[in-house]
Amino acid sequence: MSITEILFFFLSALAIVSAIMVLVSKNPVYSVLWLVAVFFAISGHYILLNAQFLAIVNMIVYAGAIMVLFLFVIMLMNLNAQSEPQKNMWMKLAGVISGGCFLMVLVSLVRQANELTNKKALTVEGNIGLIKNLGKVLFSDYVVPFEITSVLFLSAMVGAIVIGKKD
Amino acid sequence: MNAIIVSALLGVVMMFSGIFFKNKSIIKHIAAGCLLLLLGANLLQHYEIFIIKIDTHNLLRFEKMGIFFNTITIVATLIYVLLSGKDIENTGVHVAEYFALLFFILCGVSILTSFNGLLMLFLGIEIMSIPLYILTGTDKRNLKSNEAALKYFLMGSFSTGIMLMGITLIYGGSGNFQIGQAVVSSAAGTVPNASFLEVAGLLLLFSAMCFKVSAAPFHFWTPDVYDGAPSVFTSFMATIVKVTGFYAFIRLFENQNELLGPTWKIILSFVIIATLLVGNITAVFQQSVKRMLAYSSIAQAGFMLFGLYTSNDLSKEGLLLYSAAYCLATIGIFAVLIKMKDYTLDGFNGLAKTQPVLAFTATVCLMSLAGIPLTAGFFAKYYMLASVVKAGGSLWIVIVAVLFAAVSVYYYFRVIQAMYFKEGEAETTEITQSFKVGLVFVAILIVLIGALPSVLLNYFYF
Repeated sequence: MSITEILFFFLSALAIVSAIMVLVSKNPVYSVLWLVAVFFAISGHYILLNAQFLAIVNMIVYAGAIMVLFLFVIMLMNLNAQSEPQKNMWMKLAGVISGGCFLMVLVSLVRQANELTNKKALTVEGNIGLIKNLGKVLFSDYVVPFEITSVLFLSAMVGAIVIGKKD
Repeated sequence: MNAIIVSALLGVVMMFSGIFFKNKSIIKHIAAGCLLLLLGANLLQHYEIFIIKIDTHNLLRFEKMGIFFNTITIVATLIYVLLSGKDIENTGVHVAEYFALLFFILCGVSILTSFNGLLMLFLGIEIMSIPLYILTGTDKRNLKSNEAALKYFLMGSFSTGIMLMGITLIYGGSGNFQIGQAVVSSAAGTVPNASFLEVAGLLLLFSAMCFKVSAAPFHFWTPDVYDGAPSVFTSFMATIVKVTGFYAFIRLFENQNELLGPTWKIILSFVIIATLLVGNITAVFQQSVKRMLAYSSIAQAGFMLFGLYTSNDLSKEGLLLYSAAYCLATIGIFAVLIKMKDYTLDGFNGLAKTQPVLAFTATVCLMSLAGIPLTAGFFAKYYMLASVVKAGGSLWIVIVAVLFAAVSVYYYFRVIQAMYFKEGEAETTEITQSFKVGLVFVAILIVLIGALPSVLLNYFYF
């Protein structure tokens, strides 16, 4: 087993365990901290795929900015056990069944999909994830969606001001 | 391309008009002028004159039908602004921003009528949805509006997550954002050897799109959001945004019948029947007219889904006709509803005596929604059902749809009954002469399309 494979399995296990811990933690602050661990594990995967830019952005934006925001919101909301709504037993059961069905479909999908057999991830030799190549693609083939995204962000900014400003 | 660029620019123009003009009604007139400009730009594209020539790298594909659909939505928005512009002014203080957001939504609409591939589909859906979340919550003092905005935002983000998951699976399978590229070797009589990843991705996309157009198992947000949002913006999201969602839905799944196989029709007919059932039956029990219209919009979605069920020429014409008819009628009835002081059925009692023009135009709109002949709604429903008959094979679903159309007559006519045959003093806010003229114009348009649907459709072939 090469070092890349060991790292891959370690990071995958870390990501899955942390993701489960996000769900089972009783304290929402712990959930957020576990989520940070998930993002770090996924950033590790990006580095294995030789996509340093994506890894750094993932860490700065998600693990850094968004998670700090999450923590602030959770602390401001002052959640405790009393304010948590009681969930209906049947709703829980329905959720488990539908979620389980979905999991089954996805697992069988990954096992049987013929696109995925005999394919290997570009771990060390791939260079599409480097900033230079990313920039070239973004400003040539995908320049139209790149520019149109600005409309999306502009409308989100306008909305934040409309919602947040005092009347 | 013209419509995308011009609508985004005009959105910015609207934002700046808020700085220079303090008078709110000037802003409304600027918005109407800008819409005319946008309409002109879109028509120029029809004659293949471009403002800027751009190589879109095959990410956008402009078709006659999409441009014609853009024209319908822009004209509907223009009518909407002229009829209800005054109520937009009264919703809050940031009037210029509201109009700017409407233009950004139109930008999303023109992306969705021309997308080629999933990347642009995603961008279009988001540009159309995010301004709507904000417009839902503009009535900040009203707790229901806040609740509706939060609910819409959370559910909408969740469905976007499902959509992204579907796009990821398709991208993972084929390595690009095009759909229908995976090899399908379907010798006659065998199960098509479709790509598992693509089929799973398409199913997730199907769920997300069903959410956006509020089809049945994913409709739970609709009544609360439509009820809670300020009525002017409910009118906009129930009409222009909804029909665009359908356009994108049908464009996305146009050629996927072969890939998804016979199960596809079963899933789709389940969704159609459930949508018709939930929409029509629940609407019967509503006391608030606004909430009744929310359920009726679910029911109308069931009819529009027939365009997806068949996807032949007749259903395409039907979709265009349905969009025009449904937009006009719903904008008209909402314009009347906004003027009422009491949104319940009893609030409409005796409207025919106090405001005969309003009562008459509301009647025309309601008859069009119910699909009575000589109104636009009749031919819209006729084309949708005729396309199923033409495709052949599943006559039972047509019969079910006709039965539910009969149910819908009951709750639409309850409003008409309240207006004409019940005693009462329906109270309205102040109604100007120009508002009445606008309403009569809408009613005439509805009857005109109902009498001569070929006029609208012939224009499409020019």
